[in-house]
Amino acid sequence: MSDEMRSSGVAQTGPSSGRTWNVDGDAPDPAVPALEVDDLTVAYREQPVLWDVDLRIPQGSLTAIVGPNGAGKTTLIRAILGLVPRAAGRVRILGSVLEEVRRQVAYVPQRGSVDWDFPTSVEDVVLMGTYGHLGWFRRPGQREREAVGRALERVEMTAFARRQISELSGGQQQRVFLARALVQEARVHFLDEPFQGVDARTEQSIVEVLHELRDRGDTVVAVHHSLQTVPDYFDRVVLLNVRLIAAGPVTSVFTDDNLRTAYGGRIPYLSPTSSPPPPPSSPPDSRSRVEG
Amino acid sequence: MPLHVEIQLVAVVVAAACALPGVFLVLRRVALISDAISHSVLLGIVLAFFWVRDLTHPALVVAATATGILTVAMVEALHRSGRVKEDAAIALVFPALFSIAVLLIARYAGQIHLDVHSVLLGEIALSPFRRWEVGGIDLGPRSLWMMGGILVLNAGAIFLLWKELKLSTFDPALAAALGFSPVVLHYAFMALVSVTAVGAFDAVGSILVVALMIAPPASAWLLTDRLTLMVGLSMVLAVAAALTGFWAAWILDVSIAGSMAAMAGVGFLLAFILAPDRGVVAGLRRRARQRVEFAAMLLAVHLLHHEGTSDEWVETRIDHLQKHLRWSPDFARRVINRAEFAGWVRREGRERLRLTPLGRETARVGMTR
Repeated sequence: MSDEMRSSGVAQTGPSSGRTWNVDGDAPDPAVPALEVDDLTVAYREQPVLWDVDLRIPQGSLTAIVGPNGAGKTTLIRAILGLVPRAAGRVRILGSVLEEVRRQVAYVPQRGSVDWDFPTSVEDVVLMGTYGHLGWFRRPGQREREAVGRALERVEMTAFARRQISELSGGQQQRVFLARALVQEARVHFLDEPFQGVDARTEQSIVEVLHELRDRGDTVVAVHHSLQTVPDYFDRVVLLNVRLIAAGPVTSVFTDDNLRTAYGGRIPYLSPTSSPPPPPSSPPDSRSRVEG
Repeated sequence: MPLHVEIQLVAVVVAAACALPGVFLVLRRVALISDAISHSVLLGIVLAFFWVRDLTHPALVVAATATGILTVAMVEALHRSGRVKEDAAIALVFPALFSIAVLLIARYAGQIHLDVHSVLLGEIALSPFRRWEVGGIDLGPRSLWMMGGILVLNAGAIFLLWKELKLSTFDPALAAALGFSPVVLHYAFMALVSVTAVGAFDAVGSILVVALMIAPPASAWLLTDRLTLMVGLSMVLAVAAALTGFWAAWILDVSIAGSMAAMAGVGFLLAFILAPDRGVVAGLRRRARQRVEFAAMLLAVHLLHHEGTSDEWVETRIDHLQKHLRWSPDFARRVINRAEFAGWVRREGRERLRLTPLGRETARVGMTR
């Protein structure tokens, strides 16, 4: 979506948006946050995994969720998508409950969450991304296959279309998953560790795709592990350790103090000397909510 | 129709009907749940029988299917409690339900035709004697109609829910995110498995139905990596097991159901050993080829290493190579042939090897890997 259209609030639908599917309703009002989470708590047998998380993520942004192991990063995404029950809290995506905007939401689970020995081809896995638009019982046809072709081209996997998925490397598997998310043609994309176990080249091309999505006005939220690359890859960051430590633009939130709070004193990487000083308003041990 | 043709027809239809849901049982890694279901449906059959007092009443199928689903729910509840692992949960639930059914039969159903032996092994040989007659017209064996109906039901359900089953089997999280409830699909599918188990129960009993559900799909998975082909192959293998099983039983004068299950097992064993890509033989051959290939690379690296050095004269002698790299003469010959065939080395005279430019390049690249 162009900036003009965004500022004038012109609704985009159908072919003019360059989308294959007729996603429900018009393009959302750009002022509406892509994601609103209020007081989200998830517990596993009375043990909180996520504790009272509040989040606002604007549209057209690229956000990393970072935090130590067991911080609840994956759980946060799964709770937002209704894949784990919420003990408390409210989630709005593009201003609506998930059920109303399901088709505008794409999800890329962790690569290791599926069995790659499953008897199917690359093309077929990507085709699964179109199932949401098809709904129950309807089968994918020509239009869906063309969308799959374009998505595979976008992630440079065209040559592998007919390949059995067990023959893929880790990086190729991740590209297939990304292509599957692309054919969903969603406006909000959740990715769980998209760079896990991929080679440098794949990492670069995934970053490129994510930037493209952001630049056309989509919102991308990714669980991310490598702190070094956060400032290069992402605009915004969510620091999580069961509780929300901080959230906001990378430049104001990705600070040594916040990282120390999130990681319990030990920062698992050498911070760049150019890292900005912590904002004076947020003491290191309190939860800061920096809105973009 | 001659007796043996009717029995074979029933056998073929039972086998095909079992193999269809079996494919997804195997892919979902819940093969053992079919064992649980096929046993616990007996409780439903017995309870419904006490109520309607008619072994052919449709209520029996409904009640049996309900117990099948109850079994799955109980296994999952136990597993979710976190106090019992899933395999233990399966092993706890179905013997409990099955034993209640056995006790009820022994105590209250002494006169009726429902004995433990036929429950376990079925009575496919007797299937032609239980006819379905409408208005005095004989329509054929009752179990042929019943299993035929179940086959059509399974095929129809899998055809209709093809993409939904595929997605929820491969990636349940995405299925849920896209709005295809994996829980609903799981229970719908388990209902199919239950209905199939009840129908096949009559013909092949509660133990052998597991063999027919699991062995053909497990064999097919070794033979193909396309889901549609896997379904087709499973059906073919199941039907082959049914027919060869029938004739083996005929010739050896043994239980038909037992013989069918044994043939399904033989089919799996053959696939396990001989499958073109994933079989044991193919694996051994691949390993042997890789060993020779690796050794040829080792040879190229060795030659490169000593190229232009003072000991090159010794190190490139074939008989020295055998000693240096500790290869048997036979293995060394195969390695050298392989390296020569790949164009990596040339023979100089009878006893010396020299790297080709291609071999030099290959060795360099190989070392940096």
